[in-house]
Amino acid sequence: MLFTELRFWAFFAIVSWLYVVLPHRWQNRMLLVASYVFYGAWDWRFLGLIVFSTVVDYLIGIRLGAEDDTRRRKILVSTSLAVNLGLLGVFKYFGFFADSFQALLAMAGLEAGPITLSIVLPVGISFYTFQTLSYTIDIYRRDLKPTRDFLDFALFVAFFPQLVAGPIERARNLLPNIALPRTLSWDAVGRGAVLCLLGLIKKVVIADAIAPSVNAVYANPSPSGLDIAFATWLFAIQIYCDFSGYTDIARGVAKMLGFRLMRNFAQPYFAADPQEFWRRWHISLSTWLRDYLYISLGGNRGGRWFTYRNLMATMVLGGLWHGAAWNFVLWGLYQGGLLSAHRAFAGRHDRVGEGQRRSLGSWLWRLLAVGAFFQVVCYGWLLFRAQSFAQIVEFTSRLLGGGDRAYLSMSMPSVPFAALLGLVFLTMWDLLVEMTGDVQFYRNCYLPLRAALYAGMIYLLAFGSTSASSAFIYFQF
Amino acid sequence: MKRQLGVLGLTLMMLVVLDLAVAGILHLAETRGAVTSLVRFFEYGRSVPGKLDRWIENPGLKDSLFKVAWLPAEMDKSAQRFRDEDAGAGPVLRSYGMSFSGRILNGAKKADPELSFDLHGGPAAPPNLVYEAFLRDQPNRRSGDIAILGLLSSSVSAMSAMSNRTWNFEQPAPLTYPVFHLDDANTVEGGLRAVHPLVESMADELALREDPQAAQDWAAQLEAEDALYVKAAFYWPGLDASPFVRLVRRALAISTIQDRKRELIQNTQDYDYPEVLRRMIGQFARSARADGLIPVVFLIQSRQQGDPDLLAIARPVLDADDIVYFATTEHFDPQDSSGFQPDGHYTRTVDAMFGEALIGTFERAGIRYRK
Repeated sequence: MLFTELRFWAFFAIVSWLYVVLPHRWQNRMLLVASYVFYGAWDWRFLGLIVFSTVVDYLIGIRLGAEDDTRRRKILVSTSLAVNLGLLGVFKYFGFFADSFQALLAMAGLEAGPITLSIVLPVGISFYTFQTLSYTIDIYRRDLKPTRDFLDFALFVAFFPQLVAGPIERARNLLPNIALPRTLSWDAVGRGAVLCLLGLIKKVVIADAIAPSVNAVYANPSPSGLDIAFATWLFAIQIYCDFSGYTDIARGVAKMLGFRLMRNFAQPYFAADPQEFWRRWHISLSTWLRDYLYISLGGNRGGRWFTYRNLMATMVLGGLWHGAAWNFVLWGLYQGGLLSAHRAFAGRHDRVGEGQRRSLGSWLWRLLAVGAFFQVVCYGWLLFRAQSFAQIVEFTSRLLGGGDRAYLSMSMPSVPFAALLGLVFLTMWDLLVEMTGDVQFYRNCYLPLRAALYAGMIYLLAFGSTSASSAFIYFQF
Repeated sequence: MKRQLGVLGLTLMMLVVLDLAVAGILHLAETRGAVTSLVRFFEYGRSVPGKLDRWIENPGLKDSLFKVAWLPAEMDKSAQRFRDEDAGAGPVLRSYGMSFSGRILNGAKKADPELSFDLHGGPAAPPNLVYEAFLRDQPNRRSGDIAILGLLSSSVSAMSAMSNRTWNFEQPAPLTYPVFHLDDANTVEGGLRAVHPLVESMADELALREDPQAAQDWAAQLEAEDALYVKAAFYWPGLDASPFVRLVRRALAISTIQDRKRELIQNTQDYDYPEVLRRMIGQFARSARADGLIPVVFLIQSRQQGDPDLLAIARPVLDADDIVYFATTEHFDPQDSSGFQPDGHYTRTVDAMFGEALIGTFERAGIRYRK
């Protein structure tokens, strides 16, 4: 059930109606059932996995809360880690490691029979696994008290708006929101509806319409250098619109029900350096990696080289989180390398920036830095989007002028006009958010102007909703 | 709440104002003859009956597809051409297909001007239309000619449709053709049972306007027999006056049709199109050979990802019945977008290359394609 399908909105209408008529405790029970129905619509067989993960972490949470013995606490948190990462390992990474092991043996001249099991990847497993892990780790660190209400905890794990592609919520944010009665307001419904509208424009008008052009170039055995450059720029836009579009709809739907989900994107392509980028891109994952991996590895406490090592390890694992493939590992290495390099040179750069912050020169410098860093990010997206290591090498060589086709010849299918219109709209929107520092800048507008903006957004959505909707990219992670 | 309802009301009002403004601009553009791609974009959203009415009422419209490729008319033209032909001029390549196959043959003619061919078919013709055209053209066969069955991968998903009007929402040429089902009882030659449309010609289509019962029966047949019939494309044509509704209709109809097509390709339980295709090819070859023709199959793989692999589907019957074929994938990778025009056809260069390769195929198979 996709957010872009009518049946999701029919489902949401029924859930909303029940939500309004039920008292708080029953609201939560109904939401839990609805969340399982939502997930079951993908593949009911995987419901057992969520329930298993929920039961294990609920019980471990309670035991951890009651336990003072350090050794036993360690065993408990390790059990939670082993179970959750074990599930991920089996369902997401088994095939990858088995294939890699086989390839390694083959390189050593040894032959191994096929050891790949036919395992289907359960949708959203990376998201809910990280969410439940943060719960037990927070209790272990004594940052959080365990909940005794199983149904509340089950809803925390399975809450349908963010179940399959985040944001990866923290228990300390979402659990109180579940446990305490929520106030429903027309104002929240209105704000949620605008978020949903914005998310649908990003996904349907832009991301889905751009996808065929990107796919054509990445499936092409011999594209030109310019094809690759354009397709990779477009993929940067596609993945941002696809993923942030999903998050906007998830947050909008949750907001209408009285929940507050965290912001996951903050105009990431306005970043001028890697550190800033990761403060703006997939915030719920980057903060998760920072809090539970980077800091656990020692963070920046062990000197410069340890910091670099920790950054590399965190980003490689972050890359691997996205999928069981070597290009994600390479992407993680690239991001880790960028962060380490930035850390090594950041001091001088920041000093220059600070001295010129309010001058015209500083704005131009910032504009230049944002533009240049966007190219750096885009190369990362090439690593991310490529289907094989060989394609990365081939495309990189063609980008640098190699290959059998004239660099400037273009064969990429053109992008629909509506997508370009949507892109102009989104750029304006993000610029206004960036300049005002207010994600709801539109609420300060004169009322008729606001209504005209909403009407324009609805018209734009209809104008661009002609391509067949495809699944969100991040569902595969 | 009052404030929110006020915002909602004002938004709806603005939407109406915006819609009226767009309608006004489109009307102005049309009356001044400025039919830009943007105007066409909005036109594409009209309901199918709305488009057909517009074409019937304005026969001079450039974009009208109303008269295109009705089978009886095509067969009449074919018979006329056959009568006019010089029987001793050498073999003729009788091609049943669509623009793609015509372009390949044009490429072949450039490579060898002595080659002569005759085209039958329709826009983006699905295999059932191509096969039916071949069967109906039976009186116009001459021993020694070459019969070409052109199959296009992107049209295979429309094999269980009765008319382009159901599956090509933006350009719903109303021509009709039968749907072929497997006849496992083997009561029909070739093992395929045809369900013929109630409307077979342009005259039948026009007559529906005077006969509401016939129109109703035809609509009911489409709904029952055509797997790509989508209500959103046909219902409430009166709403076409609103450009906004047209946009919404276009989005709904296209996405539903594409979903259905994807489903038909992925799930062969309800309609086993690979087997239907194989039987069509087998029967085409037998029927052509019985009349002294040499059967050749064109397997044209278009750019669209997710299309069925025609060569993989057809290979068993091609090998078993020793049928000569020309598969575009053996000469050009359809994933290489540099070989395609924006409208989805192969570029002239690729078509010319296909033409030369086709002549090579004939020569290797020992087929005499010219006097």
